[in-house]
Amino acid sequence: MIEAQSLSKRYGAKTAVDNVSFTVQPGKVTGFLGPNGAGKSTTMRMIVGLDRPTDGAVTVNGKPYPRHKAPLHEVGALLDAKAVHTKRSAYNHLRALAATHGISNKRVNDVIELTGLGPVAKRRVGGFSLGMGQRLGIAVALLGDPQTLIFDEPVNGLDPEGVLWVRNLAKGLAAEGRTVFLSSHLMSEMAVTADHLIVIGRGRIIADAPITEIIAGQDKIRTLVRTDQPEELRRELENRETTFTQLEPDLLEITGRDPRSIAEAALARQILIYELTPRQSSLEEAYMELTRDQVEYQSQAIDQPEAPVPAAEATLISGGGKSA
Amino acid sequence: MSIQTAPTPAPARSRDGSGLSFGRILRSEWIKVTTVPSTVILLAITLVVMVGLSTLYAWQLAVSVGFMADASPEMQAQMGGGMEMFREQALMAPASGYIFGQLLIASLAVVLIASEWGTGMIRSTMVAVPTRIPALLAKNLIIALIAFILGAGAAFISYFIAQPILSSEGLDFALTDDGVLRSILNTGTYLAFIAVISMAIGTLLRNTAGGVVTAIGLFFVFPVIIVNIIQGLADWIPDAARFLPTNAGDRMLMFPAEAAGQLSPLEGGLVMAAWAVALLIISLLVAKRRDV
Amino acid sequence: MSTAAPAAQEPRSSGAGRVTFARVLRSEMIKTATVPSTVILLAVSFAVMVGLGALVAWGTVQLVNDPAAGPPGGLGASAQSLAYDIPASGLPFGQLLIAALAVVLIGSEYTTGMIRSTMVAVPTRTPALLAKTLVTAVISFILGVLAAFATYLAAQPILSGSDLDFGLDADGVLPSIINTGTVLALIAVMGVAIGALLRSTAGGVVTLVGALFVLPIITGLLSGLADWVVDAERFLPSSASAALVATRVQPEAFNQAEGGLILAGWAVVLLAAAVVVIKKRDV
Repeated sequence: MIEAQSLSKRYGAKTAVDNVSFTVQPGKVTGFLGPNGAGKSTTMRMIVGLDRPTDGAVTVNGKPYPRHKAPLHEVGALLDAKAVHTKRSAYNHLRALAATHGISNKRVNDVIELTGLGPVAKRRVGGFSLGMGQRLGIAVALLGDPQTLIFDEPVNGLDPEGVLWVRNLAKGLAAEGRTVFLSSHLMSEMAVTADHLIVIGRGRIIADAPITEIIAGQDKIRTLVRTDQPEELRRELENRETTFTQLEPDLLEITGRDPRSIAEAALARQILIYELTPRQSSLEEAYMELTRDQVEYQSQAIDQPEAPVPAAEATLISGGGKSA
Repeated sequence: MSIQTAPTPAPARSRDGSGLSFGRILRSEWIKVTTVPSTVILLAITLVVMVGLSTLYAWQLAVSVGFMADASPEMQAQMGGGMEMFREQALMAPASGYIFGQLLIASLAVVLIASEWGTGMIRSTMVAVPTRIPALLAKNLIIALIAFILGAGAAFISYFIAQPILSSEGLDFALTDDGVLRSILNTGTYLAFIAVISMAIGTLLRNTAGGVVTAIGLFFVFPVIIVNIIQGLADWIPDAARFLPTNAGDRMLMFPAEAAGQLSPLEGGLVMAAWAVALLIISLLVAKRRDV
Repeated sequence: MSTAAPAAQEPRSSGAGRVTFARVLRSEMIKTATVPSTVILLAVSFAVMVGLGALVAWGTVQLVNDPAAGPPGGLGASAQSLAYDIPASGLPFGQLLIAALAVVLIGSEYTTGMIRSTMVAVPTRTPALLAKTLVTAVISFILGVLAAFATYLAAQPILSGSDLDFGLDADGVLPSIINTGTVLALIAVMGVAIGALLRSTAGGVVTLVGALFVLPIITGLLSGLADWVVDAERFLPSSASAALVATRVQPEAFNQAEGGLILAGWAVVLLAAAVVVIKKRDV
């Protein structure tokens, strides 16, 4: 269990983490989301004692991290896969860390096998690919068989097999009753891995709730409708709560009306509909909505050669990225 | 998405080892030093260079004495000192490699600690040992120990190699002669202190290049400049200069042990030790408080 | 969503795009100026060199007032001619710091991985190395001249109290000041070359400092060994540097031109080796 209370970190005039409080519970996977520069890494570093908080405190399993007698047995952290000496072999790197706690060579070898590093264990870390380095970082986190796991961008650079492996690893560890705290930008993965989400933006907590709640917070019903007569259908359905986005010449996305009422309206006008699909918000959409005003570093869209022309009345752009 | 209601109790875990202990941290630092190939190679090179230098020194001495013996009486008078002086110089032979040895040890020590920051390894170390001081202290002890063994070892080997060379001119001496063992062992002590001071510099600066330059400046350039240039400036300068770390430390190795106006070997050793301990403590305190 | 495939687009470019030496030079200037260690090292070098020079000036004055305080056997030269050496007296420290700067400027490209970006931008490689050498050498030259000149200016008030002050036209003084810059420039070239050859900051600094500071100590120790040791010592970079900034030629030593040639020789050979190795080696 990780408990943060009024945690703050200031660097001179800049506040990286601003009065943050949360609890990460055991037995589930808690996702830590936020735009770049929101304070995720700083928060995680404070949890494991790398940075000293300016205010507030954070404890792991009841005590501040440095006070534990066997820190690696309490918390396994993957914060920075590059925190290794390039000329050392992966095997020796693990041995050196294991030695501090008297962890046996057998465990080192077990962890190497577990993370799939067997073939490259005796090679210099400097020559590792991004994915192999990432696996080494996970191996270090698992070394002490800890009760709490903290993963910062664990699937960064992993191949699809690796991504699936991490997902199952996280869920399996949570199922064993451990605390799993992981941050990622890969929304599709986060959506299927996390049970609970903490969203941070510009150093402050924006959301702290089960994942279903966060997605459901986008409580707009959306339906995809394919028809040869979009204009007629629109005129029929138009009112203050309903908005339309034209995705293709014959494809409309209608927000604010349930599928049944759309079908009834079409039937009343003898308009043929040959696709009627309810659309659920994705985590990506929910996240973008939540953090829209909190993004510190915004990228600029690159002109697409033939961007679809949005329909005249299209207002709410739900789904992000379709037009510049 | 999996939905957990009540968390299942954690299964009994493989938990070998009961956690951090200083002995274990020492072992970890030992592994770190011995598993980077270039470290071992550099240490070997240092040993060879030190022994080589001592050999050259002994040879040079033998040649000088031989030259003098062949020379005319006038030249002998001009060379002054006589055999006594040469005998005293011969006693320095085993330790004489320390001049180059300290350059290499200082650089190596700075690199071994500053590279933890350079490569980012320090974050792994500090997560495994969050109280920080035990890890840095252990590293200091291990590297100082290695430096001591290297220095004393090089001096011992040099002693044995030098005897045959020196005996051709009657300059050889026994291990049990006055101060010989002191000089040999203190070659190790000297290098150990150099290592500790260098590591303190490396910890404080967290930068390999800056640390190496500072250490070399402190050990080499600064004393040389003081001796050659500034000494006339004020009376207290040559006196104070005796307390610089390398000047004081030199006295541990040199002959004669007691010389007017100079620190004794014990005094010199204590002064250098004081430098080392003070800098070590400062670096440990700073590293503990600072963000990694 | 979109229907037809986009029409083939004209390749866009916001400039003529060719890699020229002038552009590579500008790139190296930006790189050097935007790394904090450059500014810090240059500032520290200047301060230390001038400070040291002022101290030496003061020391010389003390010696004149109280000859007994100096080395036994006298100084071997008049106080006035000793004073002429003052502007260049900060050189030892300057050499140490410039050697470090030059090695760091290239060594850090290797340790950070920046070298890969550089070699991809300039695939012929040699222009990048030469440009970096040129930039570093010029900066070092300017630093040396400025520091020596500032030392000269700072020393005059100190010296005038004992009537030891002198003008820039005094024997050998102006060449000494300018050659302080020359020495630092050539040492910078050696530093860049060694840094490129060893690809390591620490290794490069240790090697160059060893060559500049420790080698003379060793040859001094071994001078009794054989005649050629004393002869060979004159060819060391440290001896050549001393010859370049000397205001009067020492007996048995090289004069300024010869010293310059020797030091330049060292620099050119090392640089040539670096160029060859960089071109052939994998980055």
